[in-house]
Amino acid sequence: MNVIHVAVKEIKSVLREPRTLLFMLAFPVVLMLILGTALSNAFSNVTSVGNLTLLYNDVSGQPQLTRAWQAFAQAIGEQGVESTPAEDGQDGRERVQEGEYAGYVELRSDGMAFYGSSWRSIESNILQGMLTAFADRYNLAAAALGSDPSKAEAVLAAADGDAGAAFIRETALDPDKSPDSIGYYAIAMSTMIALYASVSGSHLFRSERTRHTAIRLLAAPIGKGELFAGKVIGCTIINLLCVLLVVLFSRFVFQADWGDHFGLVFLVLASLVALAVSIGLGIGSIGRGDSAGSIIMIFAQIASFVGGAYFPLAAGIGSFIGIVSYLSPLRWANMSLIGMIYLDDTSSVWPTVGLNLGLAAAFLFVSGFMMSKREAF
Amino acid sequence: MNVLEIRSLTKKFGDFIAVDNMSLSVREGEIFGFLGANGAGKSTTINMISSLLRITKGEILVLGRNIAKDAKFAKSNIGIVPQDIAIYENMTAYENVSFFAGLYGLRGALLKERTEEALDFVGLGDKSKSLPKNFSGGMKRRLNIACAIAHRPKLIIMDEPTVGIDPQSRNYILNSVRKLNRMGCTIIYTSHYMEEVEEICTRIAIVDHGKIIAEGTQDQLKAIVTDTKNVWIDVRGRGAENYASDELLHIPGVIAARMDDYTIKISSKGEINNLNQIIQKLIKDQVEIRSVEEQAPNLETVFLTLTGRNLRD
Repeated sequence: MNVIHVAVKEIKSVLREPRTLLFMLAFPVVLMLILGTALSNAFSNVTSVGNLTLLYNDVSGQPQLTRAWQAFAQAIGEQGVESTPAEDGQDGRERVQEGEYAGYVELRSDGMAFYGSSWRSIESNILQGMLTAFADRYNLAAAALGSDPSKAEAVLAAADGDAGAAFIRETALDPDKSPDSIGYYAIAMSTMIALYASVSGSHLFRSERTRHTAIRLLAAPIGKGELFAGKVIGCTIINLLCVLLVVLFSRFVFQADWGDHFGLVFLVLASLVALAVSIGLGIGSIGRGDSAGSIIMIFAQIASFVGGAYFPLAAGIGSFIGIVSYLSPLRWANMSLIGMIYLDDTSSVWPTVGLNLGLAAAFLFVSGFMMSKREAF
Repeated sequence: MNVLEIRSLTKKFGDFIAVDNMSLSVREGEIFGFLGANGAGKSTTINMISSLLRITKGEILVLGRNIAKDAKFAKSNIGIVPQDIAIYENMTAYENVSFFAGLYGLRGALLKERTEEALDFVGLGDKSKSLPKNFSGGMKRRLNIACAIAHRPKLIIMDEPTVGIDPQSRNYILNSVRKLNRMGCTIIYTSHYMEEVEEICTRIAIVDHGKIIAEGTQDQLKAIVTDTKNVWIDVRGRGAENYASDELLHIPGVIAARMDDYTIKISSKGEINNLNQIIQKLIKDQVEIRSVEEQAPNLETVFLTLTGRNLRD
């Protein structure tokens, strides 16, 4: 009963702190809105490709190849690729460099040479893919011609009959569903604010000392263990409530996707809050005075940054930060939540929850031990 | 019956001995004054009685039970009024008292009844829903007391309960102390205001350097210093600023001399007439003398004579 009594007071106390509530609720929501809007392009899976323009020059002198090329040009023309023959004396590569065409192909007697545009790389790559398909098909026909000319005709005819299927196959580069910017920041901000529970954790007993109420608490006939448990439970509950409010706000106001595994999402967030409170408590019990609070703030900032709270660090990061990012509890939680929500992959949930709770238990043990050694808090 | 009994109590912080083999007893129904200058060891003693500090050596019995063996019993029967106001500013007066009383096992209707009773007792019944951050210093001090008495302790330890408040609030608190005592509570009272101790305490112990150097009723304490005389000299002038009163200890017969505000308080051996030498010394030191007054023995002169210090040192 004493544990509940202390926990209820702890919750009530935080609810009476408008500044704390504002930080825990408004801060992540505002960041979610700002970052989600400002960085929306960075999360888009759709890239607009303009008209595909291909310049070609047939200097092969092989009627069969010329015929096959014309069939190919007609086929890709139906797919939106505009192929233009180079005029006499025209330098195709120069035109590509000038950006007039996405690619230039030269049909020679000894093969085909393709020059792509370096700054229209997506269009260039698409054209290259199509040309590769054409080259494969033509090589096959040429090989068939040597043994059975009728089969060669059949190979080329197949290309004419089903042009789209022959040269262009629609293949998604990333078949997995991935979060848009709001979806990402809904997760990142919720886990970040869960991590900021470490600040509350570091204040748990320090604030009793500065308010002098520690004297009353220790003079009362309840065990230090009950006090400890009550305060940790109360702090965890109120911080988890704040995180859940942020989640609900993002779900219903920003329409963020939180998937279908609500229970598991709750579990990951709850374990993260428990870990954060324990880290705060642990560092708070080791550090003295305001130093603990400063250390916690620095820890929360760095863990948030490398954990991907402000932008995803998956690509383009140095190996050191890449390795360090895996030490951030935010990273584990974010990866687990994104996997669960967007890939329907729950396999990382239990390791994440286990790791969070295991570390939380270790930090609680340290702070409990330190407290038992001290005469006051 | 002894509500509190301290036997050969010692507390060490490393090599420093804060409480040195102290023994004393507080009887049921007493208002026991615990006097000592800063660093004398009284707060350390109080903290050990309240189980806030571990005992290095010796034992403390509350209502006959050793607190080392039955801390819960002792804690249940003690109420602490700390020197620093120990309340939650963001919780109402009612919530503060209710929370602390709840730590003593009170629940439900009984908790409500005792909380209201405590608030009424300190005159904050009509402010129960107000936040202490809007209270005056005196009201906060009264709430500080209410938080300590809602569980009806048999022994109340009041550590400087009237620091920094107006005379009206001080009178209210002193009356409350008397009232609590009449209701059956035994009280240990510490204060830097000697007149408060003189006014309400039935027995007094003077602590210095971790030891009890005198103990008894006011009359018994005054009797200890009948062979001394006390002179208070009101001074002004440039020489009076930060006057090093220890210089006077070189004058034959002077036992103790302390500067308190603009008054030099001097204790001398009764049989030696050294007033002329004292005055000459002050004139030589460019101290302007406004008045010289011989004091009848009182707690302050007793304290000065026994410890060589002011209570506020």
